[in-house]
Amino acid sequence: MALAIKAEGISKTFRSGWWKKREKEALKGIDLQVEEREIFGILGPNGAGKTTLMSILCTLLLPDRGNVYVLGMDGLQDEYRIRRRVNVVSGNANFLWSLTVRENLHYYGMLYGLAGKEREKKVEALIDLFKLGEYRNIPFDELSTGMKQRLSLAKSLINDPQVLFLDEPTVGLDPDVSIRIREEILSIHRERGMTVLVTTHNMKEAETLCGRIAFLKEGKILTTGTAEALKRMVRIGDLIRIEFSGVISEDELVHADGVINYTISDHLCEIVADDGEKRLGNLIALLARGGAQIEKVTIGQTDLEDVFVEFAKSTDSDMGLCV
Amino acid sequence: MSSSNLRKALTQIWAFVFKNWIIAKRNVFSLFEILFWPVVGFFSVGLLTSFLELDPNKTGFILVGIIAMSVIQVCQIDVAYVLLYDLWSKSLKHTFIAPVHSFQLVLGSWLIGVIRSFFVFLLLSIFSALAFGLDLLRPGIDPLVLFLLGLFLTAASVGMSVCILVLLFGYMADVAAWSLSSLMALVCGIYYPVFILPFPLPEVAQAIPLTYFLAYFRSFYGFDEGFKNVLEWGFGLAGIYVVAEAFLFKVVLQRARKTGVLIKLSE
Repeated sequence: MALAIKAEGISKTFRSGWWKKREKEALKGIDLQVEEREIFGILGPNGAGKTTLMSILCTLLLPDRGNVYVLGMDGLQDEYRIRRRVNVVSGNANFLWSLTVRENLHYYGMLYGLAGKEREKKVEALIDLFKLGEYRNIPFDELSTGMKQRLSLAKSLINDPQVLFLDEPTVGLDPDVSIRIREEILSIHRERGMTVLVTTHNMKEAETLCGRIAFLKEGKILTTGTAEALKRMVRIGDLIRIEFSGVISEDELVHADGVINYTISDHLCEIVADDGEKRLGNLIALLARGGAQIEKVTIGQTDLEDVFVEFAKSTDSDMGLCV
Repeated sequence: MSSSNLRKALTQIWAFVFKNWIIAKRNVFSLFEILFWPVVGFFSVGLLTSFLELDPNKTGFILVGIIAMSVIQVCQIDVAYVLLYDLWSKSLKHTFIAPVHSFQLVLGSWLIGVIRSFFVFLLLSIFSALAFGLDLLRPGIDPLVLFLLGLFLTAASVGMSVCILVLLFGYMADVAAWSLSSLMALVCGIYYPVFILPFPLPEVAQAIPLTYFLAYFRSFYGFDEGFKNVLEWGFGLAGIYVVAEAFLFKVVLQRARKTGVLIKLSE
């Protein structure tokens, strides 16, 4: 599969202050590869450098060091060619306040050189696609937050981008609106097959949308993988709660495949295993052979939030992980 | 450039005409910009000339100055608005993520500025003829066209200066949109000949194209401020400033990409 985005050794330090100079190292040698047609997530806590990285990848910001290639074009030299083929959605959508939904779409269509009937057709199609029909003549500043975000998504498709950058696309939205926006993103991706790069600190969002996820912290990518792979990597397993009568031998659990941790108290055994559903059959058989009568079993699955917490609280050296 | 690319480039320029026009027509304040302030300013000064019982030539001298200033103020603010509207709406990054060049921003907004300021000129010309007997067509059509073209070019360079300052200093620079042209009025002799200014302001005035355009047009009303080759100097300087500022605009935009100003101004 060809690469849609390739970043090599991206570093960025922001400098501020006139009298007393201040520096903030936002990115420290980022390497990243995103395949064509992939939905790739950049997950990380606030201040990790997600927006900085995305801004560099979409040509709005220049790195201090490193190279960026988008659709095979050099991000530092060919910014105008890249801009024709990418677009951006950001959380807290902001467009020209007094322009209506329709006028905003026309304006951005013109910025991409769309003229006359071609633009008219495209704008109407996007208004239909995002169900903005009844808001078409409403000024931007009178729209609800959810509608503003829909307009943002509609605007991002005005040039049929091959790469779509979504910067915290559901931040500040109500949960039900967030779900709808995510569904719309998935639907757009299914229909158009573009590459999508999403930054988020919302684990649910990353898990729902992304094929692969890079975990960014303090300007460094700590690891990259699928949501499942990340869960396995931090060794936060699924919690299997087994109510039993009889006895359980700890020796059996210590050596059982996939068991990360366990506790046994009166008639309750809690086992943390790397893949609960997969290990359950073996574990039950093992405990039954040891003389325990199994009465009730429940599995609580780990979600990406646990991974996020683990990554966010650990230092790089603690994790000992690489890309 | 192929015809399809040319059409795209022209559409991109038109985007800025469209934006400024729509926002202007929705905004009551913009009506004040082209009707209230120029007309109030014009009549305040015009009535002062009546009170002072100035002769028609001196009245013409002053009214030409105030009309020129009104034209420049309205035209330059449209050029500045191309960034200021995005700045105030925090939508700057959406404009710059599109494949537009800085000259397209300036050209599009300047076009709408020319239209709006030409309307101001027409309005004030009518008032000056009716209320103070000043005939702005007295020099003839060609001198009038050259004078207006000079004013529009001066406005483009003032508007670009505002854009450059906004990209350098962010929100705190938007005040330049209203103050730069007023500062120019002080130095270029809107209400008086530049030779009465204290040193070194007359020398500074000679570096500003408006000084020459005013001198050119006022010469038809019997005033000679002693400048030679005024049109050459005026258009030469205006051309140099427009080209230099277009280049500087690009440089500052690139700097904004380095410092992250484009992102900061969109948050």
